[in-house]
Amino acid sequence: MQVRFAGIGGQGVVLAGVILGEAAAIEGLNVVQTQDYSSASRGGHSIADVIISKDPIYDLIVTKADVLVALAQLGYNTTKGSLKEDGLLIVDTDLVKPDREFIGAPFTRLAEETTGIALTVNMVALGYLVAKTGVVKKESVEEAIRRRVPKGTEGINLKAFRVGYEEGLK
Amino acid sequence: MRYPFPVGKSDFIQGDEAIARAAILAGCRFYAGYPITPASEIFEAMALYMPLVDGVSIQMEDELASIAAIIGASWVGAKAMTATSGPGFSLMMENLGYAIMTETPIVVVDVQRSGPSTGQPTLAAQGDVMQAIWGTHGDHSLIVLTPATVQEAFDMTIRAFNLAEKYRTPVILLTDAEVGHMRERVNIPNPEDIELVYRKLPANEEEAKYPFGDIHGDLIPPMPIFGKGYRTYVTGLTHDEKGRPKTVDAEIHHKLIERIVNKIEKNKKDIIDYETFELDDAEVAIVSYGIVARSAIRAVKMLRGEGIKAGLLKLNVVWPFDFEMIEKIAEQVHAIYVPEMNLGQLYHLVKEGANGKARVELIPKIGGEVHTPQEIVKAVKRCEKCI
Amino acid sequence: MYLKLSYEIRDKYLRKDMLPTIFCPGCGIGSVLQYTLRAIDELGWSKDEVVWVSGIGCSSRVPGFVDFDGLHTTHGRALAFATGIKMARPDLKVIAFMGDGDTAAIGGNHFIHAIRRNLDVTVILINNFTYGMTGGQVAPTTLKGLRGTTAPYGSFENPFDIAELAVAAGANYVARWTVFNYLQGINSIKKALQKKGFSLVEFLSPCPISFGRRNRMKTAPELIKWYNKITVPISKAKKMSPEELEGKIIIGEFVDRDRPSLDEEYEEYKKRAKKMMGWE
Repeated sequence: MQVRFAGIGGQGVVLAGVILGEAAAIEGLNVVQTQDYSSASRGGHSIADVIISKDPIYDLIVTKADVLVALAQLGYNTTKGSLKEDGLLIVDTDLVKPDREFIGAPFTRLAEETTGIALTVNMVALGYLVAKTGVVKKESVEEAIRRRVPKGTEGINLKAFRVGYEEGLK
Repeated sequence: MRYPFPVGKSDFIQGDEAIARAAILAGCRFYAGYPITPASEIFEAMALYMPLVDGVSIQMEDELASIAAIIGASWVGAKAMTATSGPGFSLMMENLGYAIMTETPIVVVDVQRSGPSTGQPTLAAQGDVMQAIWGTHGDHSLIVLTPATVQEAFDMTIRAFNLAEKYRTPVILLTDAEVGHMRERVNIPNPEDIELVYRKLPANEEEAKYPFGDIHGDLIPPMPIFGKGYRTYVTGLTHDEKGRPKTVDAEIHHKLIERIVNKIEKNKKDIIDYETFELDDAEVAIVSYGIVARSAIRAVKMLRGEGIKAGLLKLNVVWPFDFEMIEKIAEQVHAIYVPEMNLGQLYHLVKEGANGKARVELIPKIGGEVHTPQEIVKAVKRCEKCI
Repeated sequence: MYLKLSYEIRDKYLRKDMLPTIFCPGCGIGSVLQYTLRAIDELGWSKDEVVWVSGIGCSSRVPGFVDFDGLHTTHGRALAFATGIKMARPDLKVIAFMGDGDTAAIGGNHFIHAIRRNLDVTVILINNFTYGMTGGQVAPTTLKGLRGTTAPYGSFENPFDIAELAVAAGANYVARWTVFNYLQGINSIKKALQKKGFSLVEFLSPCPISFGRRNRMKTAPELIKWYNKITVPISKAKKMSPEELEGKIIIGEFVDRDRPSLDEEYEEYKKRAKKMMGWE
């Protein structure tokens, strides 16, 4: 499965990709994670690709995404062409106005409401994605979050992830 | 021995990080470097780990100094490494030659980015292949490894140290921005399961008198490291078996350089490593290395799906080069394709190896992106039609 | 002070199979080498605990003549190699035998950074104001107006004062003498060798063949007379005005201090790392 996260720098798009990848690795799946960002550290487009498979993976970047998670209009505009025709588009419904069929929720708003920190939007979106696709187990992602987020922030990140996950189950 | 990262299990890490961890597990305890994209993550990991394992990680004033420092460390017995990218690799050419001439085991990682000059700092390329092999002046040989995956980056780093120690030579781990920055699942073995090689030391005072002599008949002199009472003199000047400068004697120069070249050339079979994919009955072959080999595997599958009997030779070592093997393949297939992220470098070696027995076609790509499998398929099909 | 015969020093420390040296008649490098060996001898150091490092140039050939471990490296890079040696084996003592072009031109960056880090190394510097081995080109130390083959009408650049540069960069011990200052030279080298951290002993050293001939000083005695004319002891220099010091070279001890050396700092750094990571 090819999953692409697209947003702008500072939204934690790469971290969301890394955590999804780590969760897949925890489950013993093959996984490749790459990223593409403009050289500006903040504000430019930011893309994280995750390819998960039981077989060896030769691809490097997502060419035909099964899932595109767009957290900002700029990210969506840059990457919409890479989503398969029957692919799943997940967006932050407050921030992205897609020109095709989509699902989603106001991830940034949900993040602010649950953790008080808009930056946890990446975990909310990740939770939503995992609930909708079942690409990896919820527990694997939670373990990956514990490993990957800065020490002391595990709690809020897990909280944000679970809120997104619940939203995805609705 | 305690390690500052998990061992005996798999982890999900970047290529650069895998190289650093493998170096530590290979016994590297001296790292000197200078920050450069896209190799800085190797340095940052070494900086984090080295003090914890009682090793040294030091930031030098430039790349000239970085490689100099690791050569110095190697002469007092340390396994030592530096990592850089194109612009820094260019600066290292001077002392890479010194390491070859003085037969100093070191590992130099070049995480290739697009050049020349500052070029595209964050994007991958394979433009340093010829530089890695021939970049330093004068006649010489050395070893160049080319990983295609994060796991290979890990495994080949350990192999790079083993080859450096075994053959008393610098080894280049020639990777690229794509492998360096991508994350994949990597199996990190238990340290006791990793086979490590250590340089041959002089067995006695008498052997130590010939730091550059073929005293065992295997072309590889034992290395009398400093601080052990051997009182060895090492120079970049042409030297005799005892290390004494002999700068105008053609015979001594010939003997020294021939041995330095031959210790690699005559051990080609041990050093060279490759994989084949669907090559046995292939009618067209793709010869690929490093990151592009991943797309090449997919391309072979796609070509087979379309009825073209394609096969792949994936080179894990690009120097020494097995010209004879290429000739054999050329006798079997009617065309060999060489997709490279440059305007043609390894292509020339393949062409020489093919020796006119098959058509050799370059599939070049520059600008920072890896060939897609489709691009390779398209190029092959276009050429196959034109026969 | 009892001085051993030169022959004794020669026989004890030089590699017979490497002699004769490449040095020209009247060259000062042999003298400075002798001072260095005498200093080691008087300190009673073992030949097995010292590593000599050098770059490229006449003076850089010295490690080949002495019976120690020696690394004769590339032009200007001696101190970068020395950094690897010292940091990987801090128990070894390191001497870098260098020339002025090696130190201040091609190796200038390595020089100031080795000093900034306070690498525990002793630099013995041969300053002959020229590139002797390559045939008398001007160096970054060549005084204005003096001739070299690449400035045949007299150097038009400002020279570096290497000793002052070392002081400014933070060296623990810096002294400068002429090869004529026999006892001071030996004593300074002894002090420098014993000093933890970066130490430099610079010698104004005659090169009659490549430098003197082009500057109307064909022999070593003529060059030494010239040194006497242009050098000023540091105690006297302190009382002189900048105008009076114009064109003069100060000799003496410039600095003697005890800032922690790089390997000492790294030992502390390792402890800090282990503590911060909860390893200790």
